Amino acid sequence: MSAVMSIRDLVVRFRTPRGVLEAVRGVTLDIPEGASVGIVGESGSGKTVLSRAAMGLLSGSNVDRSGSVTFDGAELVGLPRDHVRQHFGTGIAMIFQDPMTALNPVRRVGVQVAEGLRIRLGMSRKDAAARTSELLAMVGIPDPAAAMRKFPYQLSGGMRQRVMIAIAIACKPKLLFADEPTTALDVTVQAQILELLAGLRANLGMAMVLVTHDLGVVANNTDFVAVMYAGEIVEQAPTTELFANMKMPYTEALLKSIPTVEARPAGRLPVIEGRLPDPTDRPAGCGFAPRCSYAQARCREDHPPLVDAGNGHLYRCWFPLAAPARRS
Amino acid sequence: MRRLLGGMDVFTRACAGWMSLMVLLAVVGPFLPLPDPREADFEASAVGLFSPGHVLGTDSNGYDLLSNVVNGARTSLMIAFVSVVVGGALGAAIGIVSAYRRGRIDRVVNLLFNIVLSIPNLVLGLALVAILATSSDPSVVISPSRRVVVIMIALTCVVLPVLGRIARGATLTWINREFVVAARSMGMRDRHIILRHIVPNVLPAIYSVGFLAVGVVIVAEGALSLLGVGVVDGVSWGAMISRVAGEFTFVPHSMYVPVTVLALTVIASNQLGDYLRSRLDLREGRL
Amino acid sequence: MAGTGTAHLRGGDAVLKATDVNVRFKVPGGTVQAVSGVSFDIMRGETLAIVGESGCGKTTLGKAILQLPPPDSGSVVLDGTDLTSLSGEALRAARTSIQMVFQDPISSLDPRMTVRNLVAEPLWVWNRGSEDERDAKVRELLDAVGLEPDLVLDRRSYEFSGGQCQRISIARSVALEPAVLICDEPVSALDVSIQAQILNLLQDMKERYGLTMVFISHDLAVVRAVSTRIMVMYLGKICEVGDPEAIYSRPAHHYTSALIGSVPIPDPTRRTGRTPLRGEPPSPMNPPSGCRFRTRCPAASDRCAAEEPELREVSPGQYVACHHPRG
Repeated sequence: MSAVMSIRDLVVRFRTPRGVLEAVRGVTLDIPEGASVGIVGESGSGKTVLSRAAMGLLSGSNVDRSGSVTFDGAELVGLPRDHVRQHFGTGIAMIFQDPMTALNPVRRVGVQVAEGLRIRLGMSRKDAAARTSELLAMVGIPDPAAAMRKFPYQLSGGMRQRVMIAIAIACKPKLLFADEPTTALDVTVQAQILELLAGLRANLGMAMVLVTHDLGVVANNTDFVAVMYAGEIVEQAPTTELFANMKMPYTEALLKSIPTVEARPAGRLPVIEGRLPDPTDRPAGCGFAPRCSYAQARCREDHPPLVDAGNGHLYRCWFPLAAPARRS
Repeated sequence: MRRLLGGMDVFTRACAGWMSLMVLLAVVGPFLPLPDPREADFEASAVGLFSPGHVLGTDSNGYDLLSNVVNGARTSLMIAFVSVVVGGALGAAIGIVSAYRRGRIDRVVNLLFNIVLSIPNLVLGLALVAILATSSDPSVVISPSRRVVVIMIALTCVVLPVLGRIARGATLTWINREFVVAARSMGMRDRHIILRHIVPNVLPAIYSVGFLAVGVVIVAEGALSLLGVGVVDGVSWGAMISRVAGEFTFVPHSMYVPVTVLALTVIASNQLGDYLRSRLDLREGRL
Repeated sequence: MAGTGTAHLRGGDAVLKATDVNVRFKVPGGTVQAVSGVSFDIMRGETLAIVGESGCGKTTLGKAILQLPPPDSGSVVLDGTDLTSLSGEALRAARTSIQMVFQDPISSLDPRMTVRNLVAEPLWVWNRGSEDERDAKVRELLDAVGLEPDLVLDRRSYEFSGGQCQRISIARSVALEPAVLICDEPVSALDVSIQAQILNLLQDMKERYGLTMVFISHDLAVVRAVSTRIMVMYLGKICEVGDPEAIYSRPAHHYTSALIGSVPIPDPTRRTGRTPLRGEPPSPMNPPSGCRFRTRCPAASDRCAAEEPELREVSPGQYVACHHPRG
C-alpha cells in the first residue's frame, strides 16, 4: 500500500512576542492510499497545526515550516503557494469543525457547491448545477433542488456539515482532511456524519485524516491512529492494535476519561490531572511526565525516543504499559 | 495607558505627536508671541514662506498664516472635539439603550438614524446653518461665535447617527452573549447590565470610529466654510481656506498651508483611531 | 396529549416542580412550539438530566425555569413559590435561588472583567458582605473549583482555557448559594479529557453546597455519570423519564434507544449494534400529528399518527410516552 501523503520530520514554529513556539516537533506520518488515519490529541497538542501545515495552509511571516510533506509524490514544503493550491479540491480537500463559519453566509448553498465544479473542472453552469444536485443527494440531503436555493443559516448544523462534505468531494479528491468534523454536532448527527464519511470513502477510494480530541470517535472510523501530545506523535499504530495493546500511559488515560453509556463509574470519573506543558517552555524529559501516574525519575530527565514495537506500532515512553495492563 | 502607548510604530508615534502638537497649539495659541490673526500687515501681503516676521507667509489680505493656523486650531479642533464628543455620547447612549430594549423604540430609533444618514453631511449642515444662523434682516450681524455654536450643533447632528448606529450594532452582538443572560439570572438590574457589561464592550468601537469622525468633522468644517456658511469671518482652518479660495492661482501657498495642516490632522486622527481599535480589541490585542 | 401527562410526578416536597410548561416563539412564517406541556419535579439533592437533540426544547425549558423568558403557560414552583406569578423586584430576588452554567465557557464570561470581579459580581449585585468579606468568599469559591486564587484573581477570561473558564463560571454560579443549579451543556464545548474534570467538579460542588441540579445535554454518555434521574425530550415533549439504571439498561422509548446507540464505543472490535437515527427532527413549526417521533421511529404504526401517547409507567420508576414501547 503506497502512501498518498508522506510527512517527514515536519517542524512548525511560530515566532510570537513571548518567544518561539514549536507547535509541531518533528512529526513523521504516512497516509496510505484509501486509508483512514486518526490524529488524536487534546486542545493545544498540535493536531490542528499539523494538519494545516501538512496542507500548506499556514501562512504568515511568523511561521517557519521545515521537513518534508509529499503528496502524490510531489514535495509540498517550499513550493510557492500557487503550486500548492493546484492540489486543493482535486487532490486534497478539507472539512472543518464549524460548518457555519466555513460556509459563506450570504451565498446560496447551490452556488457554493457548484463553484468548485465550475472553476476546477471547468463545467458549464448547467452541468455544474446537475452535478451539485447529485452531490447533495450523495451526502444525504433530502430534496437537493430545494436545498440548493437555501442559505447556510436556513440549514441545521448537520445539514451544513453535509454541504461542506459535498463541496469537499465535488472534485473527487484523493485525500480528505476532516478537522473535528463532528465536535459541534449532536451525538445522533455525529453518528450519521461518521457513517456518511465512511461510505463516501469506500465509494470514492479516498483517504481521510480524521483530527479529533475523542478516541471514541476514531475507534470505529479509522484504520490507523496517531496520538499527539505537546507537538509530537507519542503513539501510533493500526487502530485495532492500538486499542488492544496500548503502550502509552497518556493514550490509556485519554481512553479512560471518555464518558460511556455502559457501566456507571463508582464515584469519581477517571481524569487526566494537570495540563499540557507551556509550548514556549517545555520540560526536558517526557512532556507527559508531570501528569503521568507511572512516571519515574528518568521520565523527567530524558526525552523518550519513538520506539518500534513491531506491527507498525510506535510509542514514545520509557516505561510502556504491559499488554494485559489495560484491561483493568 | 502605558499599555496603550507601548507598541506604537513610528508612523503612529508621529501621528500621536502631531495630534498632541495641534492640541497644545489650540490651548496656548493666544499666549504665543504671534501677530493677531485678524490684523492685516499691509506692508507684507501675499509674502511667501519664511519671510521675516511671517514664518509661513501671509495671504493677499496680509493676514499671518502661522498665526491663523495656530489660532484656527483652537476653533477647528474645538468644533471637531465638541461635536464628536457630544454626538458620540448621545449617539452611543441612544444606540445602546434602543438595542438593549429592542421592540418599537428600537425600530423608531433605527428609522430616524437611517433618515438622517441618508441626507448628505453638507446638505444637513447647510440646512441647519441656514435655519439657525442667518437672518432675513441684513442689518442684523451674526457674530462669529454664534456661527461656531451653530456649526457645532450641525456637525453634532452629522456625527450622532453614525456613532449611534455603530453603538447599536455592537450592542446587538454583545447582548446575545451568555454573560448578559448570566447577569440577568443573578438578578442584576438592566441599568447595571448596560453600564457594567454592554458599555465597556461597545466603547472600543465608539472610540475608534470617533477618531475617524474627528477627521470627517474637520473636513466638513472646511467644506462648509468654502460654501460660505462656515466660520466665515472668524479664525479657523476652514475660514482660512474659504478666504483664499478665490485667489488660489495667485497666492497658492496661502491655500497649501491650511490644507496641509488640515490633511495631516485628519490622517493623524484616522491612524490613531485604527491604532486604538487594534489595541482595545481583545482578540487582536492578544497576539 | 402526546408525550405529556403527569403520571411521572411524585408528589411530596419537590424543590422545583414544573407543571404543563409551554413556551412558544414567534418567528417569521409562524409560531414555534419549543416546549409543549412538559411537567417534571426534582427532589432535594437530585440531579435531573434533560436529554435530547438540538431543537428539542431542552435549553428553552431550562431558561423558562429561570423565567428568561417566562413560559407562555404552566407553572414553575420553587420551594412553594410559583415563579410565573412573580414580576419586578420579587422575580429579581427569586431568580437568585436558581443559577445557570452555560455551554460556551468563553461567551459566558465578560472579557473585560477580571476573575475577581466576575466571581464577585453576584455578591455585588445583592450587596452581600463588605469588600473584604466578598474577597474572602471569592477566594473560597475559586479554591472550591480548583483554581489557585492568587494566580487567577487579576487575570481576564481570555487568558484561560475553556475548561478553566467553565470553572470560573461554576464558581460564579454558586456564589449566591442557589437552591438549584441549571447546567446547560456545560461540557460539550470541551475536550473529552477535560469533560470528566468538570463533571467531577460539578459533583463536588453539589455535595459541598447542597445543590439540586438540572443537567441539560445532548449526550447520554456525559449524563450517565452525574444524573439521578433522566428525562428524554423530543420536539418539545417528553419521551421517557425515570431512573437512569432502568433507562440505560432497558430504554423503553425507541428514541432513547437511538440516542444510546449514537454514542461511539471506544473499542474497534465492537460496534454499537443499534442502527443510528435517520434524518433530522421535523420542523417544530409544524410538528407531526400524534406521536412527534413517529416520522423517524422504526416501530411507528397508524395509531401513532392518530393518537398521542401519554406517559405511563412501564417498569417501577420508568415512564414512557409510546404506544409500542421496546420490550
